[in-house]
Amino acid sequence: MSTGTKQLTTLFDNSVLNRVERMRLSPRRRLTNRSRGEHLAGKGGSSTDFADYRDYVAGDDIRNVDWNIFARLQRPYVKQFLHEEELHLTLLVDASTSMVFDDKLHKAKQLAAAFGIMGLLNVERVSVFVGHQVPDQSSMLPPGTGRPRVRQLLDFLEKTEGGGAVPIEDAIDTMLRFHRGRGIVVILSDFLTFTDLSKSLNMLFSSGLEIWGLQILGASEINPDVHGDLRFVDSETGGTLDITNADELLNIYHAQRKALQEVLDSQCRRRNGRFLSIDASEPPELILFDRLCRHGWVQR
Amino acid sequence: MRWPSFIFPFGAWFFLALIPLLILYFLKLKRPRHTISSLVLWQAVIDDQRVNSPFQKFRRNLLLLLQLILLCLVILALMQPFMSAGPESGEYVPVLIDCSASMASTVDGSDQTRLDVAKERASQLFGSQQVALFSFAATGRRLTEFTRDDHQLKNALEKLQPTDLQGRLDDVLRVVAAYSRSYPIEQAIVFTDGNVADTIDFELPFGLDVRKVDPGGPNVGITEMNARRTGAEEWDVFLRVAGSTDDLQEAEVTLFQDGQPVAKDMAEVALDESERFVFPISTGDPTLLKAELTAVESDALAADNVAWLSLPKARNLRVRVTPELFSWRHGIQVLPHIDLDDSLDSERSTYDLIVSDSEDLQGSEAPVNVFIGVIPPALQGLVGVEEGFADVVDWNRTAPILRHVQLREVQIGQQIVFAEDIADGDLEERGYEVLVSGARGPLLLQKREGLKVSFYFLFHTDQSTLPYRVAFPVLVSNAVDNALRNASLSEVKSAPTGVLPPLNVEPDREYTVRSPQGDEVQLTSTATGLLTGAPAGMVGRYDILEDGEVVQSVGTGLLSPQETSLTVVDELKFTELNVATGEAEATMLDSEQPLWWLLALGAFVFLLLEWWYFARARGATA
Repeated sequence: MSTGTKQLTTLFDNSVLNRVERMRLSPRRRLTNRSRGEHLAGKGGSSTDFADYRDYVAGDDIRNVDWNIFARLQRPYVKQFLHEEELHLTLLVDASTSMVFDDKLHKAKQLAAAFGIMGLLNVERVSVFVGHQVPDQSSMLPPGTGRPRVRQLLDFLEKTEGGGAVPIEDAIDTMLRFHRGRGIVVILSDFLTFTDLSKSLNMLFSSGLEIWGLQILGASEINPDVHGDLRFVDSETGGTLDITNADELLNIYHAQRKALQEVLDSQCRRRNGRFLSIDASEPPELILFDRLCRHGWVQR
Repeated sequence: MRWPSFIFPFGAWFFLALIPLLILYFLKLKRPRHTISSLVLWQAVIDDQRVNSPFQKFRRNLLLLLQLILLCLVILALMQPFMSAGPESGEYVPVLIDCSASMASTVDGSDQTRLDVAKERASQLFGSQQVALFSFAATGRRLTEFTRDDHQLKNALEKLQPTDLQGRLDDVLRVVAAYSRSYPIEQAIVFTDGNVADTIDFELPFGLDVRKVDPGGPNVGITEMNARRTGAEEWDVFLRVAGSTDDLQEAEVTLFQDGQPVAKDMAEVALDESERFVFPISTGDPTLLKAELTAVESDALAADNVAWLSLPKARNLRVRVTPELFSWRHGIQVLPHIDLDDSLDSERSTYDLIVSDSEDLQGSEAPVNVFIGVIPPALQGLVGVEEGFADVVDWNRTAPILRHVQLREVQIGQQIVFAEDIADGDLEERGYEVLVSGARGPLLLQKREGLKVSFYFLFHTDQSTLPYRVAFPVLVSNAVDNALRNASLSEVKSAPTGVLPPLNVEPDREYTVRSPQGDEVQLTSTATGLLTGAPAGMVGRYDILEDGEVVQSVGTGLLSPQETSLTVVDELKFTELNVATGEAEATMLDSEQPLWWLLALGAFVFLLLEWWYFARARGATA
């Protein structure tokens, strides 16, 4: 930022962007599309990566015959290569009213941009779906690939505003109505919903998506500063809850928060996914280059 | 289970103060609104806390709860609850209030009478159960039916006034016993000063809780007044004055004759040291005497300070003796103040005493009749006369006519025999009492008809050795004394309160009896010229009026040593059990334990708790 060069995005610094461009996603499974991409499929293909040899049979392309082997052994063997396929990265950004608190939405947009850039620069199909209720604003960036798509991605995320009462399970349902293809879904949300997410996660899993849950909590949620008798008002629904001696309940609150995180982590892991809870106040560099790398989400 | 009663039940209206408290609380309780991203985690916290702490719901409004409890405790304390250890737990409670004369005595050191105290304590029982009020003095009276209506009960209680009568429990207990057949009465409460007869011939069908009111102050009173004729126009008036304390009390005794003081003396009396006064009076005309007592110091009871005595007109006893009865005539004519009529054809039809050997008195009549050798017509066929000799086997030595009469060894020349299967009981069924019994039948019978008394010698005294015995003049004297007393010519007693003594008036006439308070009662005299049954509940002078003119006056006095002494009984002896009468203070302690101080203490504790809770909450917020 201090270099004086023009910032490519308001979401984060150019230096961070440069580092992100050199990173790539590290999915647990090869959930790829048949269209060619840069993710190596398990079956044979035409990439430069050697896979195995097999006996030549009539009809095989003789260009694949390893002539050096033939020269030594006088028998034709066909050289096989790994097939490179495309991975569909879906970014699901929770932009409901609750995410507006403590810059959680901004953090979600930063991370979504970082994941999207990693996908696009590694020739993946990247789409974005935003769960919000903001008039005259699109809630979906259709799938696209390639470096030119980066600009569109960044513009879309920069313009995304938060608002509305859209539970994350509703956002998942809506997303699945438009989504096609296997790959990864990165859910950037606070996951504060009254509903059990098992059903929604099952639907994601059955759609061929590896679930990466990234919970973003604000400071007021990680360490709420409340005392005495209060009437809590839900920012989304407007519902109220009377609390007596709130400071006496903080221990229970923390226990409940950790329990929720454990449940979400368990639900994601059982579906071959990942879960991580982050503090919205943490700098993006720390999250991207340290925590996500250490947890094996991305590779540098 | 016993529930507490309330001295001031109207304090329950203060519970309405809970409404403004609730309104103020909900108006005031405005929690700060705090917008958070989502209620998800906090809802889970509350759910978790409710599971682990079931009283959290109450804790949410703990301050309000404490204030409500505090207010309730204060109001309950204001209502002055008390836990009764007595029988108030019973649904139907008869409350018996002593209205005898001693209840009119003032409590020592105050102007309040003991009846006022009893009424005040009885009113504390109202409201929590069905209460029926009864009053008793000489007789019992129901004041109300069983009711919870405070207003009705208090009205009845308000009208209750002390009487000038002696206290007796048995009559009112019989009334209550009659009610116990209709209502499930477990126990009756008696408010009394304990100045009642200690032996009661009654079988208690329910429990009795006797509560004595405070003892009365020192009292002196006239307990006896009578007069004895000592000459043709001479009377000795006797007065007895008694006190209620162990210490000697001084009082001035004044005797009034027709409103004028004629004698005066000072009395010094104590509880067991009564004093007797004799005042000689000379009068030949009917006179109304009034004795008045004035205590030098305090006197708790006023009703026993006055007594009245009516002296009849002095005259000789009018006696008619059948001429054939020589022995009786000789025996009577030697007695003083006798006008003896022994003529063969008597014109006088009214005598004080008739001695006759025939049932037929030929139009004459007397309140005392002695028949010689006459079998009453009603007993014809039940007893008969046979030839033979009879001895006296036994006789009623306490009968007035046989007092000091020795009948042993009297020989009778006639045999009086019962008819077959007839015994004394058959005669008694017909109103004849056997005074002297022979071996085979009765010898002397007595029959009472109102004030009239007749003696029947079934044998002729001239056919016996009786006239020759020492017993005979004694017998004659007894008969004359009987007639003298009946005619009030030898001895006159002051009439106690209750019912006026029978008065000799014109037969079959309408009379009006006017009480000292001015109340009037219409009565009709009997065919024999007696006016009976006039109620006299108060001490004082009663006038008998005929056509608006006073024809006779008679006075009544309390004249009860029991009432004057103000003594209390510690135990009532019933037929099957004894009931202890509790001391005034001890009874109240046992039966009514005040609870207001417990509630007030509870309210104070809750106040401290509320203060602590409130200060703690404010400290945590700060």
